[in-house]
Amino acid sequence: MHYQGMTIFASVLAGLTLASPALSSERAIKVAGFGAKSGVVRIFGVNSEAALKAAAEEINASGGVKLGDGTVGKFEITYYDDRCNAEEGISVVRRIATTDAIIGVGPSCSGVAESLFGILQKKVGDASDTGLQFPILTDVAAKIGLASISDWSFRNVPNELAMYDSLFGWVKQQYPDLKTVYGGVESDFAHSNSTFGIMKAQAEAHGFELMGQGDWLLNDTTFSNQVREMRRAQPDIVAISAHSFTTCGALREMERQGVKPKLLIGLTSASTIETIQGCAPQAEGMLIPTGFAPINDEARKAAEQIAAQGGSADIHSAAAYEILFILKDVIETQGVMAQADTVTTDREKMREGLANVKETTGLLGPVTRTDDREAIKPFVFVQVKNGNWEMAHDPSAQ
Amino acid sequence: MDPFFVIDSFQSLADGVLYGATYALIGLGFTLIFGVMHKINLSYAAASIGGAYASVMVLQSVSAPVFVVFLLAALAGGLIGLLVYFACFHFISPMHPLAMLMATLGMLLFIDEVIVHSTNGIPLSFPALTNESILIGEFYFRGDLIAVFLTACACMAGLLWLLHRTKLGLATRAVAQQPTAARLCGIKVTTVNAQLFIITGLLGGIAGAMIGAAVGVLSPLLALPLTVKGLIVTVIGGLGSVPGAIIAGLVVGGLENLFQFLRGVGERDIYVMFLLFIFLILRPNGLFGSFSARD
Repeated sequence: MHYQGMTIFASVLAGLTLASPALSSERAIKVAGFGAKSGVVRIFGVNSEAALKAAAEEINASGGVKLGDGTVGKFEITYYDDRCNAEEGISVVRRIATTDAIIGVGPSCSGVAESLFGILQKKVGDASDTGLQFPILTDVAAKIGLASISDWSFRNVPNELAMYDSLFGWVKQQYPDLKTVYGGVESDFAHSNSTFGIMKAQAEAHGFELMGQGDWLLNDTTFSNQVREMRRAQPDIVAISAHSFTTCGALREMERQGVKPKLLIGLTSASTIETIQGCAPQAEGMLIPTGFAPINDEARKAAEQIAAQGGSADIHSAAAYEILFILKDVIETQGVMAQADTVTTDREKMREGLANVKETTGLLGPVTRTDDREAIKPFVFVQVKNGNWEMAHDPSAQ
Repeated sequence: MDPFFVIDSFQSLADGVLYGATYALIGLGFTLIFGVMHKINLSYAAASIGGAYASVMVLQSVSAPVFVVFLLAALAGGLIGLLVYFACFHFISPMHPLAMLMATLGMLLFIDEVIVHSTNGIPLSFPALTNESILIGEFYFRGDLIAVFLTACACMAGLLWLLHRTKLGLATRAVAQQPTAARLCGIKVTTVNAQLFIITGLLGGIAGAMIGAAVGVLSPLLALPLTVKGLIVTVIGGLGSVPGAIIAGLVVGGLENLFQFLRGVGERDIYVMFLLFIFLILRPNGLFGSFSARD
């Protein structure tokens, strides 16, 4: 019995010894996600982390990533909380830069991205610029034009200019009787404010008359003044550029005051489950362009995988999911090594690789990358119907 | 002159006054605790919203009539109030009032973060008291805000009755005026303080539910602005004055909305803070505060 036990022990030991070269031939590719995981926009961070982990699991299970020396690399995701605060975001990225992470994915908030990109080296190769040399690929922060701040900043966020241009063009075609637009904007939130500028410009470019606008703040709870003026204007379309909390507040006040526009248009970031949970009856008919909807097998599969990780697939988290596949391609093309002594070189390779990418594969179709490191992503229009988001139109199908 | 200017000014003022009832409800809790314990409980508004959240989350799993939401919110508020008392006041020496203040600030952030982590910050739909409005010519008055206003008045009346017509009220006033003498008379100061926190917690739960009903959704975004408004109302009304909190709540709500109409949303808060500043300089004891609150 004693002899038998020794034999089993020796066999297990031999097995482990033989297996060890195989284990050591796999290397961890460290990717640091960061975004809001506390505070009122926590859902953005929760969804992004779930999407990154879902994509990592999918890639790792499908054979991993081929590194520069032929070794198989497996993604390892660590997610940091920046609390949607610019100072915290900068501090988090400085901390990430001291780790072995080859790239950062984030942040959630445009205000954080704007400040954060400012601490990165502006022009690559500029010896006089002591800015941080660390590549960042953004998944959520959507304020237009931010990636141009630094050669090290990249984004995989939707191009809202193209989205609202297409949306208002389609609305003009589908509803030729609609002539006037009244706006509502959450003016103290960078993304909402900048997108409202886009909405206004695109509405006017497509021949709509802007009758006025009501401004409110991110944590406002009363909208009676703004909606009263909206009621007097009697617009055909009400376009609201605000996140779910105040979008719902404004929609409820519109219902109370009997404001019934023929069409409601919303902010890209409001095409989420939050709006449905907060005010589905009032949001019925609201039309929003979005970079994600479960309209094909890949998108449906991604949505299921993200849900399995405790998140929800939406315009932002879908971008995070896509990012990991972009990183896989860049790592394989650039021959990234993912070793402790190659971190600096790997980061440079990642930056260079991302700068050279002209097209990537997104969940809704091919994504074109621009020279100023932004993405032009396919999108669809979704609309609240019977208390759920449903696809209203796919512009690419025209 | 815009023909609608006068109408809109009055409507803005009226809307604000009615919405100010929510500030009054929060101010009542602040002022009651200050009046008795001479302490500021900064976590009060967050605890109130917490009570409303707890009720909605319970009702998401159990089907019950709408009024149960308000009842559960009051009970949850009372429970949270008791927890706040033990966490932030009971075990901290009265010799360190600043420690208590900081503990309540910590509790505010803690409750807010618990809400955020429980809901991922997603706003939760809250049932309205009524969707009816009263229309008088060009003017309209929200039925739900009128209900909040009446609730605030009922709460004030109830509190005044409790403080002046019951043994608990007598004990509470005794502790407020002379805690040492009250103790020598056989009053259990700790019990009275704990009961006070339960009562203000019950009131806070009702306030949280009323605010949820008025706004239509509950969000962690509500806690901090309500804390600020509650404190402003308490100072303007007079620290420790129950009727003062109600009147100041309505005044602050009305002026805030009028400022917004006249000067826009960007400048609105500047004028509200300016109002507070004027009171602190010219009338530091507020509208109804006395110069000497103690014997």
